[in-house]
Amino acid sequence: MTLRRRVRKLILIVHLTVSVGWIGAVGAYIPFDITAATSQDSETLRTAYIAMALIASNVLVPLALATVSTGLVISLGTRWGLLQHYWVLISFLLTVAATVVLWLQTTGAISYFAAVATDPTTSAADVQTLGNTLGHSLGGTVVLLMILVLNVYKPSGLTRYGWRKQHEQRDPRTRTDAARSGR
Amino acid sequence: MGEPPRHSNTDDPEPRPDLRPPPAVPGWVKVSGIVALVLALLIAIVLLTGIGGPHGPARHEPSGDGAPSSAAGMHTVTGRVESPLAAGPTG
Repeated sequence: MTLRRRVRKLILIVHLTVSVGWIGAVGAYIPFDITAATSQDSETLRTAYIAMALIASNVLVPLALATVSTGLVISLGTRWGLLQHYWVLISFLLTVAATVVLWLQTTGAISYFAAVATDPTTSAADVQTLGNTLGHSLGGTVVLLMILVLNVYKPSGLTRYGWRKQHEQRDPRTRTDAARSGR
Repeated sequence: MGEPPRHSNTDDPEPRPDLRPPPAVPGWVKVSGIVALVLALLIAIVLLTGIGGPHGPARHEPSGDGAPSSAAGMHTVTGRVESPLAAGPTG
């Protein structure tokens, strides 16, 4: 099913907004992560962990989910399709993987850090030994940038499914008998 | 977003069953796949052998008694954290 032009443009606007916004939000998250990795002051660390949790749960996760869903809609609703071109398929898989890792981090380590940081009875030493998620946030940034590059350059490459689909569209004789009998 | 490229053969105006084999996997996909596989193997090795220490929140627990000196070991499963700034005045 191909979306109408206006609807496609609208969904594309939303998709671009949330996906690029995701990259920007990670850029806002990383300084707090760096602070968590380098600071020795317990009060600064508490603030950083709380900020990390707020950004992750209220901004990053919703943007990631919106990116996956709008990406699905726009790929299935246009002639690009989800499975026909390698760049679309790989972008989608990378986005899903990044979303899953983000979700696991948010509900795991990040949430734990914030819970410890917000507890007034937690000692300064406990806060100082909590750690950071810098590996994940930097790795996630690299993955998001790779997806961005794929989406801008759209390197050529049809999957077998895409090749078959395009040939069916060009030559009705290559369609299956079942499809032909329905005409 | 432009339309997908047409892979038409301009030297062949009449459509006919295409007997050519499907296109080979592009080089950039193969290279990307190899890189991804290597990274996945490295991550699996690190996780299985524990070279980087325990993975997950446990690696961030303080050493010694293994838990923060409070009952704050519970963390929200929804990822939602209430900011202490949102708390009202006490007393």
